[in-house]
Amino acid sequence: MGVKDPAMGRLHIPATYIIIMILGLAWCLGLVTGLSVRTAAAETGVMGEALGMKLAKQAVKANKRWTTADHSKVDALNRDFTSGSQITEACLSCHTDASMQFEKTIHWTWRVDSEKPGIMNGKAGHAVNNFCISGNAMEDKSCLACHVGWNGVEDGVNCLNCHGGETYNYQEAFGDIQAFMGDDDPETLEIIKELQGEIKAAVKNITMPQRGHCGECHFKGGGGDGVKHGDLDTSLIKPNKMLDVHMAAEGADFTCTRCHTTVKHNIAGRLYTRPASAERKSLIQDDMATKITCESCHGTLPHTTDSKMNDHVDKVACQSCHIPAYARVNPTKMWWDWTKAGELKDGKPYSVKGEFGKPVYKSIKGEFSWDKNVQPEYFWYNGSFSNIGIKDGIDPAEIVKVSHPVGGSADPDSRIHPFKIHRGKQPYDKVNKQLVAPMLSGPNGFWSTLDMNDAITHGNKSLDVPFSGEFDYVETTYAFPITHMVAPGKNALSCEECHIRGSSRLANITDIYLPGRDKNDLLDGIGMIAVLGALFGVMLHGLGRFFTRNGKED
Amino acid sequence: MIKRMIIASALVMFTLAPLGAALAAEGPGGNKRKGKYTYRKLVKACFERGAVESASPSVSPSDKKMSEWTSIFQGKDFSAFGCDEEWAAAKDKDIQDIYAYFYSFAADSPTPATCK
Repeated sequence: MGVKDPAMGRLHIPATYIIIMILGLAWCLGLVTGLSVRTAAAETGVMGEALGMKLAKQAVKANKRWTTADHSKVDALNRDFTSGSQITEACLSCHTDASMQFEKTIHWTWRVDSEKPGIMNGKAGHAVNNFCISGNAMEDKSCLACHVGWNGVEDGVNCLNCHGGETYNYQEAFGDIQAFMGDDDPETLEIIKELQGEIKAAVKNITMPQRGHCGECHFKGGGGDGVKHGDLDTSLIKPNKMLDVHMAAEGADFTCTRCHTTVKHNIAGRLYTRPASAERKSLIQDDMATKITCESCHGTLPHTTDSKMNDHVDKVACQSCHIPAYARVNPTKMWWDWTKAGELKDGKPYSVKGEFGKPVYKSIKGEFSWDKNVQPEYFWYNGSFSNIGIKDGIDPAEIVKVSHPVGGSADPDSRIHPFKIHRGKQPYDKVNKQLVAPMLSGPNGFWSTLDMNDAITHGNKSLDVPFSGEFDYVETTYAFPITHMVAPGKNALSCEECHIRGSSRLANITDIYLPGRDKNDLLDGIGMIAVLGALFGVMLHGLGRFFTRNGKED
Repeated sequence: MIKRMIIASALVMFTLAPLGAALAAEGPGGNKRKGKYTYRKLVKACFERGAVESASPSVSPSDKKMSEWTSIFQGKDFSAFGCDEEWAAAKDKDIQDIYAYFYSFAADSPTPATCK
């Protein structure tokens, strides 16, 4: 094998390099094609599923609901009803503790303790927001349209709000029956009979809560479809898989209660309750875990074992990549300016519709803007929010963050999470430097009088909060966590959506070094020294071998 | 004498004006509540005949103003509703009830049939 020819000896060195280059190229190609194969395989399922998918399927496979009760055969429901409370009585004749349980939950009370002494959160508490502004401790009667009771809070729990199998206007029917009573006209009696038949059929049609039940309030919060959340609107009643893999009929077809587990009518998953994520339980450990997170089903290593994505899960919420945009079907309200409210045209209140067929101006509410397919904003979030309530002081020179996520890179419970930020301008007390709660509905409400000062006087009085009589407007923000509308895996964000200079989605996450996005001269210098050092070492080694081997061969 | 006549006329006017306004506010005679169900029944019959796509009424009182409903019902031109056969067969009393329903919940009425 000894090569004596000096010419052959000279060729020997380039050939080594060529072999190394070929091997290197082959390795690179293998990596690239391997990646492609893995990506394709992950989509087609050829290589097997990611651990997170296997766990999720295992966690939810036991969810095959069945029942032993046929409500159409229950005697208590086979009678004529003339009021909502009679229906509730009939329900309670079997489900004896149901309303007692329900009346202890926030769905009934609309308030919960806060960490501030004497302050209650929730619509019936001291909370304010920057869209409808306040529930005024349930004094703003228009808010009660969403309360789960007959006639607001007057006539007990309305079980059918969540368990009724069909949409039926009971209040209208009962009102008409009452009005027709005493009328002996055969046609009127016929109408009463028909109404009683319709009510009876509706009452006997009982179901577990479906998406439409929850959505009747949660999809339409803030006064209309998609106003409030951005990731909750009526498009989720029958979503396709592109919109939401969990709720789509061709996807997992989950109802809300599949994730928002319920114990004694307490429904899990309220992010505003603190702490939001005290425990990160798997549904395999506990099918009724009280705080559902993505890893409850998908585990903490949700991607394929060799995926770099698994290294992100401790700092980046799953939603950040898997919900690339919210309001992907219906528009959501992004801006609400109360300073413009109260204008008249020809002496009368008016409204103007905009691009999405949605109102962009209403005399009774002010000016709005809407948007669709919106890229979220990202913040550190440990499951808690900081809130400004009706009794908290504000600095009107700054934009007031009425609700904002709490967290930071040093907090082990925090992750980078997507949010909708609803911006607007709303009234505040100029003297007391506090947000105010104008009464909107009713004879003294702003919607009737268009007098903001008077509306604030009545609203603040309902909350027993003093009002100086002087108000102005301040710009505010309100953060909504984005956690629904999970897209198929193939539509998740690519690396360069964040790891890129100039246009990174995480531009406002400034307290970490993000490779690709950030530049640090010291770190870059060390990296350059390492690369050049390695190159120099290889060259030195090669040259050393060349000269020593040449010497031997010679 | 002229003074007495002027005073008497003024008294009559002041007495009758609020009454007239009250009657005008009431709108047409007829049972608006019964009218709602009579209208629904009419549309349902029309649907069963196959003349409309839905058994739920597509025309709502809040679609038009009170004066527009008055014009339609007094002119007996129900083409905007479809269901010509059912309207032709309806009794005058039923039409009057339906008119009362549409007038009472018109877009410019105190209680329009839809949310704000």
